[in-house]
Amino acid sequence: MSDHLPDWIGSEGNPPNFGDPTAVLEPEPYEVVSRSDDEMVLSMGPQHPSTHGVLQVVLGIDGETVKRAEPEIGYLHTGIEKSAENLFWNQSLTVIDRMDYLAPLTNNFAFCRGVEKLLGITGQVPRRAQQIRVMMAEMTRITSHCIWLGTHAIDLGAISPFFFTVDLRENILDLIEAASGARMNMTYFRVGGINGDLPEGFLERLDEVIAKFPRRMRDLRDLLQKNPIWTDREVGVGVISAEDAVAWGLTGPSLRASGVAYDLRKIEPYSTYEEYEFDVPTRTEGDCYARFLVRLDEMEESMRIIEQVRKNLEPGPIMVNEPAVALPPKPSIGLSMESLIHHFKLVSEGFRVPAGDVYGAVEGPRGEIGYYIVSNGENRPWRVRTRPPSFYNLQALRKIAAGNLIADVVVMIGSLDPVFGEVDR
Amino acid sequence: MQPRSTKTTSTVVDPTAVRPPIDDVDEIIRTTPAEMRDVLTRLKAQGFSQLTDVGGADYLRRSPRFDVVYHLTALPTRVASIAEVGKPKRVRVLCGVDEGVSVPTVYDLWPSANWAEREVFDLFGIAFSGHPDLRRIEMPDDWEGHPLRKDYPVRGPARDRTPRPPFPGKENVGSRIPPTREAAERLRREINERLHHDDHQTSEEKS
Repeated sequence: MSDHLPDWIGSEGNPPNFGDPTAVLEPEPYEVVSRSDDEMVLSMGPQHPSTHGVLQVVLGIDGETVKRAEPEIGYLHTGIEKSAENLFWNQSLTVIDRMDYLAPLTNNFAFCRGVEKLLGITGQVPRRAQQIRVMMAEMTRITSHCIWLGTHAIDLGAISPFFFTVDLRENILDLIEAASGARMNMTYFRVGGINGDLPEGFLERLDEVIAKFPRRMRDLRDLLQKNPIWTDREVGVGVISAEDAVAWGLTGPSLRASGVAYDLRKIEPYSTYEEYEFDVPTRTEGDCYARFLVRLDEMEESMRIIEQVRKNLEPGPIMVNEPAVALPPKPSIGLSMESLIHHFKLVSEGFRVPAGDVYGAVEGPRGEIGYYIVSNGENRPWRVRTRPPSFYNLQALRKIAAGNLIADVVVMIGSLDPVFGEVDR
Repeated sequence: MQPRSTKTTSTVVDPTAVRPPIDDVDEIIRTTPAEMRDVLTRLKAQGFSQLTDVGGADYLRRSPRFDVVYHLTALPTRVASIAEVGKPKRVRVLCGVDEGVSVPTVYDLWPSANWAEREVFDLFGIAFSGHPDLRRIEMPDDWEGHPLRKDYPVRGPARDRTPRPPFPGKENVGSRIPPTREAAERLRREINERLHHDDHQTSEEKS
């Protein structure tokens, strides 16, 4: 008798009691698996490694084919909009960072632009601040796409791209950290400008990253773009036509992969975007492979913009010259009583924003991120409504998934690039 | 918890009536729930092909109390280059709603309204008539109240604050509530007595 078997095997006694085998188990309140006539309902998530967060997708499947997919969201709802209504205008930037935690600076960007419109200081934001904002937003776009590409590749079974992308992201995050002081949730932008100027030696380190970038992108393209396993999984999967993409509210790379060249940086240029030469990558296929290619091209276009900003970066102030909004310069606080009082009032009470409502949007990595901001003339926003691109992009999964294979649901979720901090807010 | 400084100068009850000198949308339309459906159908026929966002806002002391805010964008519904997209027109539709009044759904016009309307229903309690699947989307299904309403407390609803049952053998320590002065005195006296008693015993044993 071998010793690693349980004692009761081969012994005279009865096996241990595992419960009444004839008892009927009560079904769980939420049915995990159920059958109707010719449709099997399968619940995927919310604890699933390939859903990029806490997403549950209730799939109606017939054999291997998905007949309907119903994403269930709300597992990460944290009430950020409610929190923002109870903070000062500049303080609410800190919670707004936490929506799209992979691209916090574009959230800041959109919110700041909305508040600046309400204050009527859009044109007064200094040129250097605008340029640094553009540079940081494009860096954020690359870092966000890096995470998207790495995790998307892991979903499809390719581990190595993750190391390449995270290495690139690390280099860029080091730069962002040097400028803003944080790697995530930077809150680098302020209403009226940015928090602090670029540190010494920043541009030299940026040059190193710019020099390294083409090689990294070539590696990534070599690894994936013509890889037959990759193309087999991506080409022709999750197709959405241009008409449907517009109707379902898709924006950003997902819309451009369907052929509609809608990019706020080009069609409504803001913050000196009109000065830079860059293309808007567009494909017409509308499948996962098109979305993949559009994002890859976008990373290269972002780097083109960063290079041009770096070349044209002008010295100058980084905060609007508007004492009602901007803190006084730090050295003046020790010298002048008025500056000290002014500083204290701005920090302890914040500034007031004229009453009115406004919609400010920028092109984020996932699409049009906009803020509908209502002010009633106080030092806190009355209402901050986010237009979350991930929310609408993910909703389109209901349209895209039908008719595809069950194994491709993961590919389609990855290609829509949802971030659940933003979907649930 | 004391409220933070709430000194206000001029609080506007209806901020949407005050228009700052900005040009974020081409047109702002204000409607009522009865006419809203006609307005949006007409706008869709005019080429506003994307429902960019549906949101809500609560103006507590205003009548009507809520606004449902629609943002529409006129995008081409076919493969189009940047020149063809041009600078798309944007329009904002504000639909004033009172408590208990439902708004017709626009799910059949733009499918993207599905989740957005569910979210407004969930967080503001505005019902959308004709919506195929009007359930809570962010909050748990059995949640009570609508968190983004202005009369909903920031830290959540007031919970029943019945004290936790005391730990066995520690009846004198009330849960969460600090002991009263008498209880603290009694406790201190008991502890002292026990200590002195122990001291006494040990000194006796030693001797």
